[in-house]
Amino acid sequence: MVWTVSAENWYNIGMSYIIITLVGAVLVNNFVLSRFLGCCPFLGVSKKLDTALGMSGAVVFVMTIASAVTWCLDHWLLTPNGLGYIHTLAFILVIAALVQFIDIAMKKFVPPLHAALGIFLPLITTNCAVLGAAELNYKQGLGFVPSVFFSFAAAVGFGFALVLFSGIREKLAHADPPRCFRGIALALVTGGLLALAFMGFSGLDKGIERILK
Amino acid sequence: MKTVKSSFKFKGGVHPDYNKELARDKAIERMPVPAELVVSMSQHLGAPAKCVVKAGDFVTRGQLIGEKNGFISVCVRAPADGKVKAVEKRLGPAGGKADAVILDTTAKPEGESDERRETGDGSSHVSRPSSPILPPLDWKTASREDLLKRVEEAGICGMGGAGFPTNVKLNPPPGKRCEYLVLNGAECEPYLTADYRVMLERADRIRVGVEIMRKVLGGPAVRIAIEANKPEAIAAMEKAFADIDGNVEIVVLPVLYPQGSEKHQIFATVGRVVPEPPALPIDVGCVVENVGTVAAIADAVEKGEPLLERVTTVSGDAVAEPKNVLAPSGTKYSDLIAFCGGEKVPPAKLISGGTMMGFAVSTPEIATTKTTSGLLLLSPKRVFQYSSQACINCGRCVRACPMNLNAAEIAKAVEADDVKAAEDAHVMTCIECGACSFSCPAYRPITQFCRRAKNSIRARIAAEKAKAAAAAGK
Amino acid sequence: MTMAILCIAGVGLVAAVVLAIADRYLSVREDPRIGMVTAALPGANCGGCGFPGCDGYARALVAGTAPNGACAAGGEACAAEIAKILGVAAVATERRVALVKCCGTRSEAIRVGDYNGICDCNVAAATAGGDKGCTYGCLGYGACANVCPKGAISIRDGLAKVDKRLCIGCGKCVTACPKKIIELVPASATIHVLCANPDKGPQVRKVCGVGCMGCHLCEKNSGGKEANHFTFQGFLAKVNYENPPTDEQIVAKCPAKCMSVDPHFESGH
Repeated sequence: MVWTVSAENWYNIGMSYIIITLVGAVLVNNFVLSRFLGCCPFLGVSKKLDTALGMSGAVVFVMTIASAVTWCLDHWLLTPNGLGYIHTLAFILVIAALVQFIDIAMKKFVPPLHAALGIFLPLITTNCAVLGAAELNYKQGLGFVPSVFFSFAAAVGFGFALVLFSGIREKLAHADPPRCFRGIALALVTGGLLALAFMGFSGLDKGIERILK
Repeated sequence: MKTVKSSFKFKGGVHPDYNKELARDKAIERMPVPAELVVSMSQHLGAPAKCVVKAGDFVTRGQLIGEKNGFISVCVRAPADGKVKAVEKRLGPAGGKADAVILDTTAKPEGESDERRETGDGSSHVSRPSSPILPPLDWKTASREDLLKRVEEAGICGMGGAGFPTNVKLNPPPGKRCEYLVLNGAECEPYLTADYRVMLERADRIRVGVEIMRKVLGGPAVRIAIEANKPEAIAAMEKAFADIDGNVEIVVLPVLYPQGSEKHQIFATVGRVVPEPPALPIDVGCVVENVGTVAAIADAVEKGEPLLERVTTVSGDAVAEPKNVLAPSGTKYSDLIAFCGGEKVPPAKLISGGTMMGFAVSTPEIATTKTTSGLLLLSPKRVFQYSSQACINCGRCVRACPMNLNAAEIAKAVEADDVKAAEDAHVMTCIECGACSFSCPAYRPITQFCRRAKNSIRARIAAEKAKAAAAAGK
Repeated sequence: MTMAILCIAGVGLVAAVVLAIADRYLSVREDPRIGMVTAALPGANCGGCGFPGCDGYARALVAGTAPNGACAAGGEACAAEIAKILGVAAVATERRVALVKCCGTRSEAIRVGDYNGICDCNVAAATAGGDKGCTYGCLGYGACANVCPKGAISIRDGLAKVDKRLCIGCGKCVTACPKKIIELVPASATIHVLCANPDKGPQVRKVCGVGCMGCHLCEKNSGGKEANHFTFQGFLAKVNYENPPTDEQIVAKCPAKCMSVDPHFESGH
């Protein structure tokens, strides 16, 4: 998928890596539409564009910080002590605490957004998207900046899919579908079609890689 | 004075069948005053007039029977001599009920001779045949305030259909100057030919009216807008305005519905765009008046004749003799139909106004007002009972909308009870012309959806205002 | 093994300390009573109290800006519980239900035209006043049924009827009706006059077979003017709900057949 960079060059990040990661994480392997991680907030918050944007912002923030913290945790605490096998446990602990912290901070500083997101904000905790990004970073074993950038790109991809979907759902709200399809049923069908559409991007990152190399 | 072709064409619009040949060539015919007149206190836009007569009173033609009630209001005068039978609530063409004076025109006070009542210019009941109702003024020497007061006393409101008080329109608020006076002679509605006949037969009155209005508005340029399918009217107006001084032009407009809309007249003649409500035409320096109103102003000033009657086109394929009738306001539709030979076939629809923006009424007991430009009787052949279906997103309504709105989106939003989405789609700019409903292949009542959204939004704004006023009062 | 346990414990401890600090300095103190009141409210979020949802009303109650008893859906039991939580005296409110004051179905009341348009009473009323001969009567296109949060209103033969068992008295139908003929009446009252046309008898007869003609027979049969069970608006009888009649015989004696005993049930009238 992406060629590896040695862990020693943890600050080394090239322009081609940025482009390929962005294209890869946002379009080709979109977290929601290709990997099917994070479907819960995707379906729950996408009814209106404002809440969708708010949720995207929250996820970008959480994912980036979570991947930074988990990378440091893994690099300095777990791996040197041979505790790589409990990285999942450690990661989920850190992510849960982080999301709880963000929940408290949001309630204090942006109460309207906090009220609008409601239950879906703590849902990011048990959300596989954040843990999935951390896991993928662990698997790839890249340096700090490449890892964090990859999570950032993945969150941008999540937000992109969320905004697209909310736009469609806002228009669908005015439609008159048959009774059995109303509400979440039609949303799921639309999500599936959107996922199919995104399959059209497959191979794009390989092509760009070939051009850039 | 020159005749030019309009250099601005608005986007959108539709071309309905005009069917104007039914009544085009019929000269204006004055109908005898009917036995009963139902004179509504609400013939105009704004607060209804306050009735100042009661049952049993005798009134003379031109006597004040309804006082102006507030700033945006117009007074009402008796269209004929008679006795007030009652003052009660009657149904208007738009469906609302308003106070109306029921006048029995055959009754006369004790001891009055019949001779005095037979003379006059065609009408059978005129109280003082030789003396005018209001003292005539010479517009050249009269002051601007006197002329405005005369327009107010004569009870003149916009005769194109909206009925806005003319004295308010001719008196722009301080800080706003009128640069263009636009005469609306477009008459874009199908079947209607009243304004056309007024332009043909009363062009000299329109000329005098223009002079008066020019004086009152402080000398603006004048643009007379006439659609291209009325060449005889253009010729008549050219003849009447041939020797007028100042910046006066006759602008020939393309035949398109709704060319007669105020905002589109301004765009077609002057090229200016009126911003979204609450902006008004005076904000871009324009005043638009119907040609009938202009002729009425001339009569009010020079002859001292208040607005008591108007030309109404009675047309349609279910009426025996389509005519352009000069009838006193308050004439019941049944009397109008009888004057035009009665019904040829039982009509399936009775429309007050034109086919696009008129009101379908359920009974011919409704009476004409100062703004009734037409009465249409349509046979079952011409009326189509439809059942609407879902929107197919074809976009015809979007193409047709003359205000560049997304009519399909608004209709879908209102159908889903999402008035906020309709408001965001600028539904308040809608002029309810009906072009969208006309062009929809699924027969969706899009104009009704827009109207419903607008009523909802207006009610909400009024409630908010009331709440704010109550809170401020506390 | 111990290393693993120590690591996880250490990370957990750090996280706990950070969260404790955050809770100390960043948390927003909220009155716990808001949660208790919200739980006591029925949770229908109907907006009948005039506040945005049950949560909104709970906040207003705790803040002291809302009167207790505004929740029609919760009724007396709910008001009593809220009073207990807030530590104030309970206010007794009587249950009110909606009543459509018209019995002119399509078979009884004439229609003067074919209405072709959106199936909504407000739009129909704006079109020439509606297609019903009686300009005061129920048009039957369902504006009230559409807004009812409990689905208590059904349209039968061009006439709206409220089911008393489902109605929570929120009043949404009252605002939705363009003819303003829905009224909130005490649930205990059984006798009602189902007409809103104040015109003279012959005029009413012309447009409706079951309209009130103002004959005053109901007043006479229930003890006359002194008993004060009815008031009259023009030629229309209106039940005085503060002193309602109880004799069901007067319903049978009404010549216009516009009165009813408990019309709320599906089988009524």
